[in-house]
This record gives sequence, structure tokens and C-alpha cells, in this order.
Amino acid sequence: MRISLRPSLLAAGSYAAFGLLALPAQEPKPAPTPPPTAEPPAPPLAEGGDAQDPEPPKPGKPPMLVVEAGTVHPVAGPAITNGVVVIDGERIVAVGKKGEVEVAADAIVRSFPTGHVYPGLVDAATDAFTDAALRTEAGVDAGTALADVLQRRHDRDDELVAAGITTAYVTVRSPGVVRPQGAIVRPTAGGFEPWSGHEHGAVQLRMTNGPGPTHALQRQQMQQQVDALFDGLEDYAKALTDHEEALKKYAKEFEDYLAWHKKKKDEKAGDKPADKKDDTKAATPPAADAPPSPPEGRRRVRPGGGGGGGGEPPKAPGAGEVDDEAFAAALGLVLEAIAQDPPKQDPGKQDPKPGPQTPPGGGAPGGEKPAENKDEAPKRPTWPKAPPRDPQKDTLQRVLDGALPLRVEVHRADEVRAALQMQRRRKIPVLVLEQAYGAGECADQLGERGTSTVLTDLLPADLPESYDGFDPAALAAKLQAAGVPFAIATGSARRAPLLPMMAAAAVGRGLDRDAALRAITLTPAEILGVATDVGSLQKGKLADVLVCDRPLFASDSHVLLVLQKGRTAFETK
Amino acid sequence: MHLRSSLALLVPFVVAVERSAAQELLLKARRIVVAADAVLTDGALLVQQGKVVWVGTDIPADARSRAKAIDYGEATIVPGFVLAETTLDQDADLAEGALAFTPDLRAAEAFDPWDERLLALPALGITSCAFSPSPRNVAGGIAAFVKPGKDRGAIAAAELHLSLSLTGAARNPERQPTSLMGAMDLLRTTFTAARTGTRTGPDAAVMHQVLQGSRPVFVHADTWAEINAALDLSRDFGFAVVLVGAREAGKALPRIVQQKASVVLDTLVPEGRLEPLRLPARLAEAGVPFCFAGQPEKLRLSAALAVRNGLDRRTALQALTRMPALLLDQQQVVGSLRQGSAADFVVFTGDPLDLDAAHVATWVDGVRIAGTDPAPKPAASAASATVAGDRR
Repeated sequence: MRISLRPSLLAAGSYAAFGLLALPAQEPKPAPTPPPTAEPPAPPLAEGGDAQDPEPPKPGKPPMLVVEAGTVHPVAGPAITNGVVVIDGERIVAVGKKGEVEVAADAIVRSFPTGHVYPGLVDAATDAFTDAALRTEAGVDAGTALADVLQRRHDRDDELVAAGITTAYVTVRSPGVVRPQGAIVRPTAGGFEPWSGHEHGAVQLRMTNGPGPTHALQRQQMQQQVDALFDGLEDYAKALTDHEEALKKYAKEFEDYLAWHKKKKDEKAGDKPADKKDDTKAATPPAADAPPSPPEGRRRVRPGGGGGGGGEPPKAPGAGEVDDEAFAAALGLVLEAIAQDPPKQDPGKQDPKPGPQTPPGGGAPGGEKPAENKDEAPKRPTWPKAPPRDPQKDTLQRVLDGALPLRVEVHRADEVRAALQMQRRRKIPVLVLEQAYGAGECADQLGERGTSTVLTDLLPADLPESYDGFDPAALAAKLQAAGVPFAIATGSARRAPLLPMMAAAAVGRGLDRDAALRAITLTPAEILGVATDVGSLQKGKLADVLVCDRPLFASDSHVLLVLQKGRTAFETK
Repeated sequence: MHLRSSLALLVPFVVAVERSAAQELLLKARRIVVAADAVLTDGALLVQQGKVVWVGTDIPADARSRAKAIDYGEATIVPGFVLAETTLDQDADLAEGALAFTPDLRAAEAFDPWDERLLALPALGITSCAFSPSPRNVAGGIAAFVKPGKDRGAIAAAELHLSLSLTGAARNPERQPTSLMGAMDLLRTTFTAARTGTRTGPDAAVMHQVLQGSRPVFVHADTWAEINAALDLSRDFGFAVVLVGAREAGKALPRIVQQKASVVLDTLVPEGRLEPLRLPARLAEAGVPFCFAGQPEKLRLSAALAVRNGLDRRTALQALTRMPALLLDQQQVVGSLRQGSAADFVVFTGDPLDLDAAHVATWVDGVRIAGTDPAPKPAASAASATVAGDRR
């Protein structure tokens, strides 16, 4: 299966080249860049990828919404007994104790006296909205984006929001070394919305052979294979930079080239009698202080104008317009001049050869330039050939530039170390490890480097028999002790309702309770780069709110209400 | 000579265990679950000779002064979990490959006291289990009741129920029977022969015990057809049946209720279909006695998943403790912490049905064989928690 690339992947450089083709005399403009990832422009997006009409204009500002509960867990701070979350539109405007927070008189109040309020959960890895073919596809490259092919499944795997998950990073555990770029989505009732500006969440690589028996040498070869993906990127980037420089140079040389021929045309026109009454431009050179006119080839021809007789009288060329006949004449002169290679020169006006009498600096006597420099036709510049574009290299270059994080699946400790080594060697700014079951052995290294880790498979006996030595639930506590930022994720849409239980299992193996809650809310938001908007109940963040009837980590805790951007996304009937 | 020297080495170990068991122990905790429906708050448990001799808040002062006190602070003590069916991954030794009908074989004879799988059970909260013949034979044999220990396990009861199987695993294409029909025919023929006395021998004797009601029967049956076949046998030959696995029990629920059958559930798979996850709640609602079993590592998770999918906590805890003991006819010794029961219990930092409750220790016959003792507390804060985690 081949997956189409997003046009934005090809944007850098190519658009500039197109611009130059159309406007050869102008300075190449920088390629349009996608909007910054911090704040999406938030146009109404199609739910589940389907088309959606623009939102109808709202008649008036809706009233504030207040969620009252027995306990509010903001995550960013201590739990608040009898707390309230005040929501205005899509954002939280206040979080605090009931009675201590100002609430508008006309606010809508949702009260859960024994309930527990949390921020919407953030699943740092799920295969939701991907189809089975994609999950087993090994022939994709890093330029492929999952965001292009996500779809609803129309089964319970779509129901992330019913489990309280309001933000999710979609990825696939396909068998190839290179996986498609993950996407950050906003699960909705029965579907999802792509999060504008976060469609390209991270580049995904696989640096492990999995649980099957493997020799250390085999694993080493795979690690080298992954590392080799970054080979030649410097040359590739240099070729692109050189091409950009060459384009600039070409633009300049082409401008000079046109200017010379224009001048020659003007000179020739001056020698000839003015046989055309409207060809005033040739007879009247532009004033020295007049702004430079665009090249002839870009002149706009006025419709209906020209010397066809009748109609409007011709305008003066100084107005920036010429009629057809004049333009045809000028163009003919230019073409004629171009055809003369080298151009014939008037012997009477031939410049003297440079000699000892030529003053230093190349200036002619009396301040004039040497004759051969003045009249010699410049060589027509050659259009610089663009280097072949490689979407995978473009994407990996973005990783090296820090524009995209790199997520690498590793299992054993030697694979974790190899990933860290690759990060150091290739100077990868943001590295996130996935499924790093053996990370406990090098937790200190991870802590020193601040490498984030996404933990999955925390429920008992989730791992294959060959991984009996690993204990992901206990690993969380080890990572916490070493100061490693880590998120707890489901890894699979079918496990979405179990995300709190996974965090609870980590608590049962020694993880601090607050850290466990953070690992399914704020930390994954930080890893995904969306913590300014989601992950905790704080003023200014999106109003993603989860209300449960019992503490989240209790087995019989049930979701009562899920708000997404202040709107009800799920509610227990 | 070699055997004698081995026994000589074992003597000090056995003596040490016995001394430990002989020591009177006074165990305290914030919550002591005597049985699923009887919970003590700030109570104590007096253990002597490996048995519970007193439970409550009014333990006599002289017993208190004699006993070694162990205070688990804010923790919760629950009866040890009972695994109602397991082969401890020894399937090869628990099924006769060439013969499908071996009701007189005894699983106890394949028991290995040093089996690592057995010794790993206490860390999972399991203090006893039914070591059963593999379901690969139509009539596998007789299960044994075994308990793990600190260094070796032991057989607590050599003969429990007869284990039958109607599942696909019992239908081997290389020997008869190869179909469910064939398996049913084999069982009908032998039960009929045992009833009429036309067949003799050890296997007929076991079948005769079943017909007389002195030998319980566990039947492995997963699908609706297999469950119905097992219930047919139960009806036709007049014995009570315990269904093992019973993945599609929901489809046969009315008949299960009607025939008063019981169910030993297999592992609940978290990401599996919703029907099996909701089955425990449905069984409880219908009044069917059931317990959790399957992979030991997922026993507690299965109960937690059942709670998440609608089962009440009391029934869930009962299905880990009292109910399997009842189905194995061992309720007098395990499954609760009533007076006279074996001192088999597990200490958690909270409710064991919540996965955030950490396992602290497991005691079997009054001896701690997994986990740790509580940390010594400063005298001033003796009443405060040491191992518990507060729940938010």
C-alpha cells in the first residue's frame, strides 16, 4: 500500500522554485511554513474526516458553565475538596474552592457532590482510527502521515471519549523500521477531529526485533540500520541550500541579462526614426529617478487597447501599460537582440581596448566603464537544476531541526542505549522512547538526558513469555525515582477504558499516586507538545473535563461526564 | 544413602517451619476481611499452629501478651485467594496422550513441590489451588488440592473432583474421540456401564462415585454446545456439575440456573469482547455460583475487570476466596479467616480489587512466604499507618 503524501511535506523549497519560475526577476520568497504548533488556528474541522459545514454564527455569547464536585483534581496542584471549574466558551477561566471563585449569576451549574473531576485524559499512544492494513504495513516511509488516512471504525474502538480520553496520539505498531508519522487527534463522540497544526505529531522508528529470540548481533544490525537512516542528511540539506543560493544567483543574473537587452533595444530604437506614433517609450527613456519598471515579459497588456484604431486613446507608457502593438514591437526587439549572439556592435562606437591608460578600478577615462564591459552581452544564465526531493529525508531533517520529535520503539536495555547513542551522535533534539521495558537498567542515563518515555502494557501478564523479566508496572516507579518524564498509554484503542487501571497498576507497584495521575494527563500533553492547551485544569487551558463517580483509580469508577472544549462529548444516561 | 542424606538436610528446615508455625501471632490491620460479608475494622487475628484461633476486637489479654504482634497499620488483610483450576503449566504430565479416558489417574502423582510456578503463586495472593488434570483428555483424572510454601509446596488433599473435558482440546484427531459427539458417546457409555455394573475396574469405580454423589465433577466446556452437552450429562446421570471455562455461559444461562450448575471462569481478557467481561455480573445477577480462575498472574485483574464491568465488590471478593473453596469442598479450611481456618491470608495496602492497592505480604498456614513484615514504627506514632496508601 502506498500512502499519498501531504502537499505540505513538499512545500519547503518547491513552492519557492515555482515562484521563481513565474517571477524570474523577483527575489525568491521563503516557502510557506505550517502554522506554529503551539496554538492552532482552530477552524471548525470535519469530524472523523468527513466534510462539515462551517459553524453557523452564534446568536450571543453562551453563559458560563460551572462544574461543581466533591473533589477536583487539577493535576497542576493539590486536590480541592468541594471544588469548582468555571468554563467560559472553550476555555477554563477559574479553578478553585466553591465559594472562593467568582461565578456569574447566569452561569449553568453542573453539580456532582460526590464526584471527582479530572482533566480530560491524554493517551500518548493508541492505534485508534487506523485500519488493520495500516497496522501491518511495512512499506511506508517517514514522509507518510497517518493523519491522511485516519478513519472511524464504527465500533467500540471509536469510543475513546467515553473513557475520558480527550486527546490522543495515534500511531501504529507496524513491523517496518520506519513507520508513518503519528497524529494528534481529539476524540469525539463516536469519532475524532484532527487537531489542526498537530497532524504531524512525530516521526516513528522501530529499533527492535520484538520478543522473538534474537542474537545480540542481529539487534546491533537493526540498530545500525535505524541509525543509517540519518546518513547523508547533511549532504542532502547542503544540496537544498546550494540550490536556494543558486536560484537567488540565477534571479540576479537573469535580471542583469534582461536589463542589458532592454538597454540595447532602447539604443536601437533611438537610432531608428520614430515610425510609430505611440512607440514613445523607445524615444523617451524613463527618468533616472523613476522606479524600475518590470521586465518586458511581465508587462500587463491592457485588454482592448493598442493601435487597432478606435477605442480608447493610448495611454502614456509611463502609466505602466503599453498597447499590443508597442509590446509586440518591443518584444520583437528583445527577441532579435537575444538572437544575436554575440550581438553585433557598431564599429563606430567600439570601445577602446583596455590599456595602460585605463585608470585603476576598471573605470574608463572620464568616469566611464571600459567599453568591453559596457557592451559585451552577458551570458544567458542557466536555470539551476533542483536536487531530487526525498520526503523521508525532508521529514528526518525536520527531526534534526527540532520541528518534530522522534519516537523510537525499543524494548531491551541494549536497544534503549542504542537509541540514546543515536540521539547523541545525530544530535536529535527531542527523543521519545516507546515500550522501553528495559529502561529500568539505564534509568539514570535517561534522567540525565531528560529523554521521555511512553509506557504501555502495564496490566499484569500483558507481555509475551520471553519478556518475563520485564515489569512495566514496576518500571514506572523506577523512572519516577530517576527523574525520567514518562507517560502511561494504552497502545491500543480497545484498551482505552483501561487507561486509569494501567496507572493504578503502576501505583500498586510503587508509583506515587500523583505521578500516576500526571502520567495520563499532563506528562503526555508535555510529550506531545500540547501542554499549553490540555493536560491539567488551569485557567486558560481548553475546557477538557472528566467527571467520575468515584476516584479514577478505583476499579468501579465510572465516567459520568466528559466535556471537550466546554461542550458535552459524553454523558452517562 | 543419597536419599538419607537428603532427608537429613531437610530436617532442620522442617523444624524451623514448624517452630515458626507454632509461634502465636497477633496480626493487626485497619481492615480484616474475615469473609467477603464480614469485615473487621481495627481488629486482630490470633494465629496458632498455622490456624486462626481468634478473630475480632476482644482477644483475651493473656493471648495478646503471649503472641508476637505484627501490625500492618492501615493495610487490609483478606483471605488468601483460592485458584479453583490450574495445571501449573504441567499439561504434558497431566494428560495421557494415547488414551482419552483416564478417570482414575491422580494429578497428585504428577505434583512437584518445588515447581517454580507453584512457588510464585503467593506473590500473586494465591495461597491454595486445585492441581487438575489437563483438559486434553475427555476424562482426565482426579484433581489434588495443593498449597505453596516458602521453599516447597505440599499436597493438602490428594483427591478432589473428577475432571472431564468436552472442549476442542480433548478432541484429538490422532485418537478417539475426534468429535464432540464421540466424546459424549464415550461418557454416556461409561456412565451407563458404571450405573448398570457391567464395567469394573478403577475407572468404573470413579464413575460410580460420581453417580453416587461422593465425587464432584468439573467439566471443561467453553461453547454453548459443549455447555449444553455437559448439562445433558448432569441431567441424565443425576450429578451436580461445575462448568470450567464456560466462555459462552451467557447463552446457556437459563439452563445453568435451572440445573443449579456452578461456573469456574477462565481469565478475563482486558481487550477482549465485552460479553465475557460482563459475564460475571450476569452470573451474579442470575444467582449462579461462580469463581475466577485461569492464568494465576491475571486472577486479581480478572476480578478487577469484572468489577469495572458491573460486578459488585463483595461478590468479586467472594469469587476469589470463599466460592472456589466451596466448589472444591475445602470451605472448612480455606476461603475465609473464621476460627479454625488455615491462617492463609494476604495483606494489601488497600482493597485488592483496586489495582492501586499494593501487595504487601502473603501468609500460608501462619507463615509469611512472600512480601515483607511491616516496618517498625516509632512508639509515638504506633497508631499511624506504615504500609498503607491513602485513597483519593
